[in-house]
Amino acid sequence: MKKILLLAVLSVGSLFAQVKGDVEVPYIAYEIKMGKGFDAIQANCLMCHSFGYIINQGPQSKEFWHKKVDKMITHFKAPITDEDVEICTEYLFEHYGNGKLK
Amino acid sequence: MQRREFLKSSLVASAAVLGSTALSAGETTQPIDGRKVSKMAFPEKKPLITYSDRPPLLESPRGVFTQGLTPNDEFFVRWHLPEIPLHNDPDNYTIKVNGLVDKELEISLKELKTEFEQVEVTAVLQCGGNSRSAFHPIAGGIQWGSGAMGCAKWKGVRLRDVLNRAGMKKEAHFIGFNGKDNAAYYETPNFVREIETHELDDHVILAYEMNGEDLPYLNGYPLRLVMPGYYSDSWVKMLSDITVTDKYKSLFFMDVAYRIPDNECECEEPDNKFKPTKPITHMNVKSVIGYPENGMKVYHNSHLVVRGVAFDDGTGIRDVMISTDEGKTWEKALLKQGNGRYSYTEFRYAFKPNKYGKLSFMAKAINRLGEEQPFAKDIKWNHGGYKYNGIDVVTVEVV
Repeated sequence: MKKILLLAVLSVGSLFAQVKGDVEVPYIAYEIKMGKGFDAIQANCLMCHSFGYIINQGPQSKEFWHKKVDKMITHFKAPITDEDVEICTEYLFEHYGNGKLK
Repeated sequence: MQRREFLKSSLVASAAVLGSTALSAGETTQPIDGRKVSKMAFPEKKPLITYSDRPPLLESPRGVFTQGLTPNDEFFVRWHLPEIPLHNDPDNYTIKVNGLVDKELEISLKELKTEFEQVEVTAVLQCGGNSRSAFHPIAGGIQWGSGAMGCAKWKGVRLRDVLNRAGMKKEAHFIGFNGKDNAAYYETPNFVREIETHELDDHVILAYEMNGEDLPYLNGYPLRLVMPGYYSDSWVKMLSDITVTDKYKSLFFMDVAYRIPDNECECEEPDNKFKPTKPITHMNVKSVIGYPENGMKVYHNSHLVVRGVAFDDGTGIRDVMISTDEGKTWEKALLKQGNGRYSYTEFRYAFKPNKYGKLSFMAKAINRLGEEQPFAKDIKWNHGGYKYNGIDVVTVEVV
């Protein structure tokens, strides 16, 4: 949860961390669209990857986004509920969709 | 999408892909170019085009590709799993070698550096999805421009020497590699690659140095696999385990991701995907112009030198041809080679623009087998947007 909270504020990473010892990788506050279903996206997607992964897939069909969410469950074992699969798909298609169902 | 539209819509901290495609099924164009670099720099890196912070995904801007060796701080970054160890202790770093071997080993980084022959190979590292943004309909995955690639001088030890010390058993058929990056969930498969024992040659090394320095943290410090000629999904970073087996183990990143149609053209239709598929392995012939860049203004009658890099899977580059008339006629660029067959071949081409207005440079590499880059429009579509190698085009304005 710490990481999710950090994303809410603009955080600045160190420029040149030492490789030996501790490394700090910057967090980037990706400008993702707000809207219905955002909470489900934040809860289910941010565990494993940044919003950059969503924004930088390019505009896609509803089927594409549905398959992406399914892939996270099938292949990456993300514990996403059936209800959230639908909510996330709707959100992704509405904000990062290409208007096509297939 | 027009480049201008893209530039207008690009965000400060991210390289968002917006807009829509009006293209019909299965077409390929030039990849998206000219994305802004981020204002934020990652450890040991200059600010680069930034797609994600977790896992880190960074692309080199076009201007980097004028040099035969890519500087470490401008070298692209691509991780798959989000949890990368944030504490490093090279003095106690070890890798395990196990499975079908006579003697299981735990070798320290120090032992690798002192007890094995040290070797060097200069090789190109390129993501299989480099230039994916050229594919329409848009292929799933990060919409890379042309900068998910770099070339470095890798120093380390031969994988073969390490395996010889462990002693591979006769039944050995596959060698699996795992790194220290982990998923957020325990059940998520690790990013593991396997190669077949016959793919093992003296150029395959475990590298701890890149261009004379320790590997950058984000490029797999302190040790990574180097597979010259192969796409980078095989070059496992922050290497921790080498496991020898007789049977092929099903692996997500080899069996589901990073696969292309197993047919002659390695292509398919968006509505009619081709099965079976095969993993991407050897790179095809490709070139990228580093200078000039799209949208630059150049002076009429000035001395312009087009510069860039070309490479393939190690067959070797024979020629790089330049066209200034949309591909109707081609002239040879001057080549500079000398870092071995897996490295970038630098090219330069002097040109005096004598007409005002738009001027396009095209670069086409040809390897020693006569294989050459196709025009972007002639590249056939595949669902993962892999292996794009269209003729590069840069358009400037003569003023």
